[in-house]
Amino acid sequence: MSRVFLTWAVTHSVIEVQSEDSVLLFVMAWTVTEIIRYSFYTFSLLNHLPYVIKWARYTFFIVLYPMGVTGELLTIYAALPYVQKTGLFSVTLPNKYNFSFDYYTFLILTMLSYIPLFPQLYFHMLRQRKKVLGHTQDYSKVE
Amino acid sequence: MEHTPYNKLCVEILDAKTKDKLCFLDKVGTRPDAPRLFPAFLARHPQFYPARQSIRLDPKGKSLKDEDVLQHLPVGTTATFYFRDLGAQISWVTVFLTEYAGPLVIYLMFYFRVPFIYAPKYDFTTSKHWVVHLACMCHSFHYVKRLLETLFVHRFSHGTMPLRNIFKGPGPRNCCLQLSVTCAAVFQNCTYYWGFAAWMAYYINHPLYTPPIYGEQQVKLALIIFLFCQIGNFSIHIALRNLRPPGSKTRKIPYPTKNPFTWIFLLVSCPNYTYELGSWLGFTLMTQCLPVAFFTMVGFIQMTVWAKGKHRSYLKEFRDYPTLRSPILPFVL
Repeated sequence: MSRVFLTWAVTHSVIEVQSEDSVLLFVMAWTVTEIIRYSFYTFSLLNHLPYVIKWARYTFFIVLYPMGVTGELLTIYAALPYVQKTGLFSVTLPNKYNFSFDYYTFLILTMLSYIPLFPQLYFHMLRQRKKVLGHTQDYSKVE
Repeated sequence: MEHTPYNKLCVEILDAKTKDKLCFLDKVGTRPDAPRLFPAFLARHPQFYPARQSIRLDPKGKSLKDEDVLQHLPVGTTATFYFRDLGAQISWVTVFLTEYAGPLVIYLMFYFRVPFIYAPKYDFTTSKHWVVHLACMCHSFHYVKRLLETLFVHRFSHGTMPLRNIFKGPGPRNCCLQLSVTCAAVFQNCTYYWGFAAWMAYYINHPLYTPPIYGEQQVKLALIIFLFCQIGNFSIHIALRNLRPPGSKTRKIPYPTKNPFTWIFLLVSCPNYTYELGSWLGFTLMTQCLPVAFFTMVGFIQMTVWAKGKHRSYLKEFRDYPTLRSPILPFVL
């Protein structure tokens, strides 16, 4: 969900941010993450999960996740001035539907929402890591 | 099965989770009350007032009801019960009053343009559009009606609910919420009612509010729909109340009465929700405000879920339940 938002609602829609380094940062993080994650799913479905894939899935995130979040936040931040200037996706009063929406404020709130959400997800993954990789001595999942 | 003579009964009460012995009662009193009224248990654990007690024969089983009589339960000479604390309890009446007083007050704050909402030059001014005044009256009427109904009309089948639920939301009047939810869930329901009230009120009472396109015609039609559904909703509540004699917990199939507004029972299981939807559609039409439309839609979805559940439980409970009825919208839903 946040992928779609970052891709379409921010990067695609605000052309000026497309040359930012932060875009490279989150694209790289997402790419590596997804390659590992979907290999993990594929091999799991085939009941042939090489340990290295499992290990990578539950280890790489430690770096990739903060990297991706940093790229995302920086990108949104870079988009802010353009959104404010052009009133992108925003609706002002008066209008016949008696409705308004300020995309600029919405983006700021989105950035703030990372504060509670990121630690929750990150620590959840760390707990999963301990659970999944913790018992490697007991059994091997290969074959 | 031979029942043990009552006055030879010993009762032990264990904690459902830890199996610690909480209480042992020798020669239980002569009144064949349900376990939850054991005065000895209450004396030893005064914080667990009766509404908070969930006492059961099996640690994971269902709670015994107030009506259950000790003599008729399948126990031997020593009856073992398991106790579960339902958490701090609050009466349903208090829950609903809090839920409904919020939107009433909040809307009025926007209507009177209390400072810090709109630009300072508009503080304490009033809108020049008469539909805005009408909308305020309708909205306020709706919530005052709900408050009065909660106090004087509704009969609740379960006296209290866990305190944590006050923020989450109680759902239909006669559903029993026994298992407590976390504090986070508590926050949800009041936030819903109060949040939406603020969002709607902001736009309707805004200095830049645009009145309905079709003007007086639209507003008059909307008002008729709104009032019709308010009366309808009230009629249903009265009819449902009259189904259940005071103090009883019996459930019966509701049927149309002499009041024409109840004839919708022929087609719908939960016409109170149908009328509620109608009221808010009327209000949406009256104010021509998108946030109101959103609120109506979200409410409709939630009420449909409740109506379907109620409809299903009616079907399960009554063999002869009328087949023509739909949960909330005649023939459709």
